[in-house]
Amino acid sequence: MANKPDKYVGINDDVLGGMTTIGKVIRDAWVFGIIPETETCKNWNIAGINALLDKVNTEWDKYGCLVSHLPPELAKRHQRIHGAALIKAKQAGWSGELETEDEK
Amino acid sequence: MAKAYSAGVKEYRETYWMPEYTPKDTDILACFKITPQDGVPREEVAAAVAAESSTGTWTTVWTDLLTDLDYYKGRAYAIEDVPGDDTCFYAFVAYPIDLFEEGSVVNVLTSLVGNVFGFKALRALRLEDIRFPVAYVMTCNGPPQGIQVERDIMNKYGRPLLGCTIKPKLGLSAKNYGRACYEGLRGGLDFTKDDENVNSQPFMRWKHRFDFVMEAILKAEAETGERKGHYLNVTAPTSDEMMRRAEYAKEIGAPIIMHDYLTGGLSANTQLAKWCQDNGMLLHIHRAMHAVLDRNPHHGIHFRVLTKILRLSGGDHLHSGTVVGKLEGDRDATLGWIDTMRDSYIKEDRSRGLFFDQDWGSMPGVIPVASGGIHVWHMPALVNIFGDDSVLQFGGGTLGHPWGNAAGAAANRVAVEACVEARNQGRELEKEGKDILTAAAKHSPELGAAMETWKEIKFEFDTVDKLDVSHK
Repeated sequence: MANKPDKYVGINDDVLGGMTTIGKVIRDAWVFGIIPETETCKNWNIAGINALLDKVNTEWDKYGCLVSHLPPELAKRHQRIHGAALIKAKQAGWSGELETEDEK
Repeated sequence: MAKAYSAGVKEYRETYWMPEYTPKDTDILACFKITPQDGVPREEVAAAVAAESSTGTWTTVWTDLLTDLDYYKGRAYAIEDVPGDDTCFYAFVAYPIDLFEEGSVVNVLTSLVGNVFGFKALRALRLEDIRFPVAYVMTCNGPPQGIQVERDIMNKYGRPLLGCTIKPKLGLSAKNYGRACYEGLRGGLDFTKDDENVNSQPFMRWKHRFDFVMEAILKAEAETGERKGHYLNVTAPTSDEMMRRAEYAKEIGAPIIMHDYLTGGLSANTQLAKWCQDNGMLLHIHRAMHAVLDRNPHHGIHFRVLTKILRLSGGDHLHSGTVVGKLEGDRDATLGWIDTMRDSYIKEDRSRGLFFDQDWGSMPGVIPVASGGIHVWHMPALVNIFGDDSVLQFGGGTLGHPWGNAAGAAANRVAVEACVEARNQGRELEKEGKDILTAAAKHSPELGAAMETWKEIKFEFDTVDKLDVSHK
């Protein structure tokens, strides 16, 4: 069996241009200012990512998990960060179709 | 070359081919598509199917005298060409109702699709349709609650329900799984769902999952003021264990549970459905394994039969195919079995693959679930095709949203409400779908992002199992 990596590769080196579950958590952490936008989480272990997820969830809970409920400043920040990520992911070969491929 | 088939001492058609027979209202009727071995006359092979699916296997020379075979036997009463396919033909067989145990789809299937499918005279055999007489329908328990009671329980009216299958991600922890459910429900879904192959594996035991998911439901209900549910999959290695999981789901307050009715088995399903009815629980049914049975156009069991079997065995939801997604499903044929799930009386209609009138009496209907490969751009067509009494289940079309699960859920909720409003205003959804969604996206950034994500996708796979009338 191949060795399972125990450290995260970092959002800049993640698959699909970072359009992954962990990538989304990191971008939300940037939006809420939990970590600086320079932090890619490279070499973080799963416990660290899970702890980050908890913090991101706490922030989202304040706004009912919805972008449309964010105050203007955060909404603007969200638009900038996630908008850039979408362009990058598409350039890296990600598309919505990949998300529905394994469905039964 | 295959060895030529040779009949036994007495030809089947002497006993089981009865073209003069008029089926009784109480008969169970079946339509088989038969591909015979070369050189076997149609009447003989149709009669053989009638025999081997009824009393033929009982027959030894002397016991014929002890059993009233003439009463219990299946009667092949008609033969028809299959449009566009000369290799096979339809045979219609009538079975007396007393041949089968009351309320037992297990018994019906054991006869109709039992040993006969391995019979030497046949190259292939497919059960295309069954007509259950209302006298037999009334002996079956059927859906635990039915469509109207489900709407009352969930307090949701006038629109399709929305769901999403949760794929275990982020280390497969039950806690993160529960969080994904919460986000979907908080974003606007009515239901989330266990994947059909999530039972109680070492990475996520069932009780742990049930607890975290129930916490998610309660939190989402408290914040949205709406009733929410998650199909807790109680499919288990034994029916005792299945019931233990169902009991626990009820104990923690879950409104709905789920079962894989084909892999779990029809006895277990019927037992579970009866328990759900007695305990006020809704039952979602997944059809894993159906394609093994229904995909080959010449051999197996057509899905319209599997839907009838499920309605009798019991289930409140059943996955039905999407028509517009990327999975199998001819539009007319799908509409045929969707009506078979929901309506109380369905007329024979060959253009939709319905070979018989079907009267369900007062048995409640089953809600069809459109699931697999669908996203917001499909919403106008889905609302048009499925109508309000349906569950539209967006998995990747929710969780794949670039902003996350809640955003995906919100996009789908806004889209479905926009489509329903437009339909109620008399607009043509499939023609005006783009305008309707674009207008709705002006006040929903989540929908706008979803439309941006999926707009280029087209599904253009041809169906393998087309209606016979469209083969030529």
